[in-house]
This record gives sequence, structure tokens and C-alpha cells, in this order.
Amino acid sequence: MSGVCAQCERRSWLLEQLSVGLAFGARDLPRFWSLLELPDAELTDAIGGRRGAELHVAYAQWEPASAQAGEGLERICRHHRAYPASLRNHALAPHTLSVRGGVERLGGLLAETVVAIVGTRRASDYGMETARGLARGLAASGVTVASGLAEGIPTAVHVGALEAHGTTLTVMAAGVERCSPAWCSALYRRITSSGCAISETSSSPRAWRWGEPARARTLALLAQLVIVVEAEERPWELACAHVAQAHERHVAAVPGRVSSPVSRGTNSLLMGGAQMVRSPQDALDLLYGIGTHEAHEPSTELEQPLQAILEQVGAGMDTMGKLTESGSRSGDVALALVELELRGLIVRGDGGRYVPCAGALAG
Amino acid sequence: MLARARTFTIEGLHARAVTVEVDIRPGLPAFAIVGLADAAVREARDRVHAAVLNSGYEFPARRITANLAPADVPKVGPGFDLAIACGVLAASGQIPVDLLDTHALFGELSLDGEVRASHGTLAVAEATMKAGLRMLVLGPARAREATLVEGLAVGVVERLSSAVRVLSGGAPDPLPQPSRPPLRSAARRQPDLGDVRGQPEAVRALTIAAAGAHNSLLSGPPGTGKTMLAQRLPSILPPLERSEAIEVMRIHSVTGRLTGGELLSERPFRAPHHSITTAGLIGGARRGWVGEVVLAHNGVLFLDELSEFARPTLEALRQPLEDGRVAIVRARHSAVYPARFMLMAATNPCPCGYAGEDERCRCSEADLARHRRRLSGPLLDRIDLLVTMERAAVDHIGGELATSSAHVREQVIEARERQAARLREEGILVNAQMDARMLRRHVKLDEGGKRVLAASRERGLLSARGQHRALRVARTIADLERSERVKHEHLASAFSLRPEAGLSGRRAA
Repeated sequence: MSGVCAQCERRSWLLEQLSVGLAFGARDLPRFWSLLELPDAELTDAIGGRRGAELHVAYAQWEPASAQAGEGLERICRHHRAYPASLRNHALAPHTLSVRGGVERLGGLLAETVVAIVGTRRASDYGMETARGLARGLAASGVTVASGLAEGIPTAVHVGALEAHGTTLTVMAAGVERCSPAWCSALYRRITSSGCAISETSSSPRAWRWGEPARARTLALLAQLVIVVEAEERPWELACAHVAQAHERHVAAVPGRVSSPVSRGTNSLLMGGAQMVRSPQDALDLLYGIGTHEAHEPSTELEQPLQAILEQVGAGMDTMGKLTESGSRSGDVALALVELELRGLIVRGDGGRYVPCAGALAG
Repeated sequence: MLARARTFTIEGLHARAVTVEVDIRPGLPAFAIVGLADAAVREARDRVHAAVLNSGYEFPARRITANLAPADVPKVGPGFDLAIACGVLAASGQIPVDLLDTHALFGELSLDGEVRASHGTLAVAEATMKAGLRMLVLGPARAREATLVEGLAVGVVERLSSAVRVLSGGAPDPLPQPSRPPLRSAARRQPDLGDVRGQPEAVRALTIAAAGAHNSLLSGPPGTGKTMLAQRLPSILPPLERSEAIEVMRIHSVTGRLTGGELLSERPFRAPHHSITTAGLIGGARRGWVGEVVLAHNGVLFLDELSEFARPTLEALRQPLEDGRVAIVRARHSAVYPARFMLMAATNPCPCGYAGEDERCRCSEADLARHRRRLSGPLLDRIDLLVTMERAAVDHIGGELATSSAHVREQVIEARERQAARLREEGILVNAQMDARMLRRHVKLDEGGKRVLAASRERGLLSARGQHRALRVARTIADLERSERVKHEHLASAFSLRPEAGLSGRRAA
């Protein structure tokens, strides 16, 4: 309990009590942001409804419970010295943070430039590949990559950054004790073994819907640059970008096909004046000025048999049959192909063909 | 006077005993058949009448009632004619009654008294044996089928008069000779793998599929030989065991598809057109209608152009693929049929067929999405491996021949023996039937294999179920290469054959 003062602990308790009202309020995001900025008493008045008076009494009589933080977890509030500086002066910022991975490490991560890469869960292959490539390039260039944790773009971001042996920061919507969604737990373990996971609520017994936009605003405030890879044109999918714009963060988007629903949000951001990002280099130029920082690709030194097979695949020998035509043993070729596939250098295309990934052959 | 004759009716794939009771008493001449008989049985009245008279016997001009007992079992088919006719003759005192009770009679009569064969002879022969009757008396056409039942006395009768002779203690007619010489090897008459030019990887994948009895998906552009390859699958599968052959013959006998009575050695190969309905595939359109999955029992069900099949039809394949049987329940009948088959499906990589071939593919994103939706889902979950066919094969038309079916079949049989020896205590025969528990026990990976498996899970390339499939296929590849341990390269080969790879679509990461 040492990291959280009684005042912030009480705020966190109050938010839990008001979850239904907040979830309702989150249907209108501008109102939701203004709600989150309200002090405790006014917030209770605004959304307490019939329970308002009762809550005021309970609030006055509130005593800190001797809750035990889970193992490997730390909790800090905005009055703690380790609280992220980028959040400290914002009324909108969360009052408390649960951290998995240690506050020291969190401090280290936030000392670097933070880039949030966000996007929809219903991502296309194009979005997934782009997100992975951006995260890999930025992580290799020494930037801290942050995202949420969900299927689609966020998963691709973490996978990409981890491929470059980078450290990532994930902002969770509902507590850091358990991984939600549960199927991400292997990825979650890898993220928290080198990076950090943070969340606003501590041990919420259930995930409230307002956790989703609340997570987006935390991400936006933490980052110097928010890149939206793919998003539908809906307020919740663009929440992170809108908060970042309102609080003078760089906002960038990846251009997409005009006909694709998951590119409508990003394309409309670009119309509205967001910067365009096509590669990690574009993002670095935005952050540091053109030509000052050069993007690094993680070293892709391949062992000789792998490199040879990769080049053959690139030259159009895209099936097992073509690769073994010259007399190579099919067992050896299969081994090399699996290795390349696991390293994300080739993928399986239509009809089981092998297709080199973007950038795989450049290195 | 009353006489009782013994016969059988077909219920599902089995025969059920029916007693024909014939009673003749004074009254106005009449001939009634009672006891839940279908149209073919009711028409027996006219056939029996003519056959008895044309064989030189007397048809009593009195009140005749034939009752088929038990009365609540529906009777189908014309196989009751012989029993009814003999019952009439016995009841009218033209033949002795005593032998009638120990002989089963089965066959249709022609108007001139000739005995014709009926569907389901094999099932009837098995039931006769089980019921402990002394002899099965039947027409010559399918008599050889009945001789497959060991220890059963088969009395062949060409005419009604011969049946009268047998029932009076005389000798039956001689068993007809087989119409064609028995085939020693199934491969002789079938298309041979040796006809295939090039495509070494596809042939290898087919070999793996045959060795482990893995359900497979053939993918490739039009004209690359998907159908050709699939048709050669039975020629590399091990020949039917005797017990399997009897099961297959019983099914084909009941449905009237069996010609000749020799023990089958080739596995059935069923290739229904994609316009097939669910009832056509599974069965149950009407009583006794057997679906394609049942006809493919112990053989191969080949679904060409998989994406063109109606979705509900494909969904209906789940139970047979899972349990190896279909339970058909309709308002008036229900039956369980065996349906353990190897599924071979073929599809183009996209609706136009040219996906991945430079600029030739003309499919829109929507077409591709529809194609994937059709293919993915629960059916693909049951498919263990993907056989990819290539356009490049065209250069090979003058090229070297693939190995012959006989050679590949030897490899397959050897691999199956290894599997059977390992899996005997589990009560299964082939790798394709291994469940998660058996996989843990029988698939021992080396270090490299373990690493590949862990990494593929982390990158989201394989689901838990996908892993099981890859392990099953890897086990078969190791069996083909005579290795007790599943090595890194075996798993890598299995991994490159995984069916998910055939459908580009969304990937988890």
C-alpha cells in the first residue's frame, strides 16, 4: 500500500463504485473525458444518480482496507515519485497505476521516447504486417513501443517489438493481475519479462466497458507520438488519437485503401491533419526532426542455408516442389522453411505458397 | 392347414428374422398378405400365384392368408416370394412341412418360377448362421455372397421346383461358377500412380496421407491433376482385410451395388458430385437409403471442388469424421451405419483457381473471403494435411515417371504395420485416430522439434488443435522413414503440410 496515498486509494474505490455510471458515460467520449477530470465529490454528483447521497456518506466514512497487492505487482499514485512525469500534470490522467514488471523498469522505459502504436482488433493482413514492421523498426532504433493488449494490431505491435529484442509497454484495460484476453497470456508473459504492463484499476473482479477508452487516454498521454495503423471510423477506435490531438501529442496514421472499412478511421485522421507514417523512418523524422535519427532494422544475419532458401523463395521458387527440384533433400528444405516462417521472414499465401515478408530480403 | 417358413427382412445393414405363416381354409378363393408389408411384398401375391402355377403345382382355390410375423416390423423388398410360395405349397400339402422350419428361404420369384436374387444376401446369410438354421435356400445369382459366411450351408435353387426338391430332402443345384476370374491384386484394374508425371512433393504428401489414413486437402490450380492424384489413392492404400471386406460387402449388398460374390480387396472410392444434398451424403432420404459416407466405409470419400458443396452438407460430415459412424433418425425409422472413411478433398486456391500465379487471378477480395469462409470452419479442423499441386508440373509431362503404386503401397503397408504394433494396446490402428493423450505417449520429440513447436505456438501459427494435427502427421512421416523417434525434420515436414497454410487469411500475429 506504500505507493498509493489514501486520497488516491479512495478515488480508485469511488471509480469502482461508479462503474455503471462511467460505462454509461463512456458512450459519449467528450463527456467521458470531462467526467474523468472531475474531482471526487462532483463526479459523484454527476453520475451517482439515486445512489449519490448514499455514496457521499460512504465516501466520508471510507477507511483504507488492508488489501495486499499481488506478487510482482506494485501500485503507485500520482503523488508517488515514480509516477510517470508525462501524466503528472494532467487532470485527465489516472490517479493510480498498477504496474507489473517493477516501477524502476517502468521509469527506464519512460525515460526513452515513447511511441504508442494502436489500431483495431479486426485488422487486415496489411495492417498486421505494417504494425509489426513499425514496432520492430522503432524498437530496434531505441524507442519504447507501447500499445494495449488485444487481438489484432496490439498483438502485432508487441510481437514486432519483441522480435527486435525491444522492450514494450502494454496498458491493460482491466488490471494487470491476470492477462485478459486469456489467449494472449504467453505473449503477456514475454512482455512482462522484459517490459512492463500497467493498468488504472488494480484488481477489478470484472472488466468494465469504460476501461477500454480509459486505457486509450492513458496510452495517449504517456506517448510523445501516437500512430494509428488501422481503425474504423468510430469514436472508440479513434479515442487514443483524439486524446493525443487534444493534448498536443504528435498523431500519425498509416494510409490504407479507401475502400477498406478498417482504413476509414486512419484515412480520415490523415484528412484531418494527422501526419503520415509509412515506415519507422517517418516516425523518427516526426519525433526528432528530419534526418537526425536513422531507423535501424534489427540485424537479420541469417545462417547460410536459410539465406539461400530465402533468396530462392524471393526468386519465385515458392513451393516445396520447386525448392526441391534442384535435388535438395526435402527434409532439409522443410527445416529451413519452418525456421524462416517462425522468424516471420516468410508467410504462407494462397494455396500454401511461400511468400517473403516485406523487408525480409532487404537485410 | 397351417405352415411356417423362415425368412429375413433387411433393417439398416442387418437382417431380421421373419416367420411367414400361411393358413389355408375353406372359403371363397382369396389370397391376402398381412403384416406391415410394403408395395413390393404385397405384389408378391401375383408373382407367387403365377410362379406356383407355371412350375406345375396347384394353387389352392381357397381362402389363403399369409402373415409376416412379427407384425410390427415393416417388411421391405421382394425377397419374401420364395418363402411365401413354399409356405403355400406346404400348407396345401404339396411338400412336407418338417424341413420348412429349419431352412431359411430368401429370393424373388419370376412368373415362370425362376428364383431371382435379392438385395442384402450377405446380411441374410450372416443372420441365418446366427439363428442356427440348417441351410439358406436362395437363387443362384448372389449365392457366392452367401458362401462368404464360414460354416453356412448354402442351397442354391434355380427354380421353385428345385426349392421343393431341397425341402423334400433332395440335393440343391450346383453353385454357379464366378463370372470372372477373381482379382488377386486390386492395383491391376485401378489407375496407377506411375501415370503421374512430376509432382514429387504431392506424391510424397499423398503417400503420407495414405500411410497414416490422414484426412487431406488437395489444393492447386485447375488442370494440375488433383482429381487424377486422388483417384490413385485407393491403389496405394493397403488392401482390405477379410473382416473389413465383409463389412464393405454387407453395405454394398444391402444397397444392391454388389456384383459377383468374390471377396473384395480394393477399397471403395466414392466421389459424389458437389450438388449432393445432405441426405444423399449422409443417408436417410427414405428408409434404407444409405449415404455416400456409408458407401465409402473402409475406403475413400473424395470431395472434388470442396468450396462448391453446400455448407450444411459439409457440416453434416462432422459426426462421421468424429465417430466413424452415422446415426440417422427419422420419424418412422432410425439406424446406425458404419462410416469410417478417409476424407480426400480438393479445391482451387481461389474461385478462379489462379491465386498466387502472378496476374492471372481475377478474384476480388470478396470472392476470396467467401472462398475461405466456405473452406474454413469445423470441417477443416478434421483435415490433417495439405497436398499442394503445382502448375510447374506441365513441364514434366514428358518428364520422369513417379514411382509405381505397387512400390508406394509396400511403403504404406510397412508404415501401417509399425503404427498398428505401437497402437495395438490403444485399440486403434492408424496415427490419424490418435487423441491428445496418445500423442503425448507415442510422439517423442527431439530438442529441435520441441523448440519448433513452442515457437510456432507463440507466433500464433498453430492452434492447440493444429499442433495435434502436426504431431500426428509428423508421427506418420517418422513411421515412413522407419524412425521410432520423431525428429526435428519430421516435424518440419509436417509443419509445411499443415492445412491452415492453404488458406491465406487473417493470422494472429
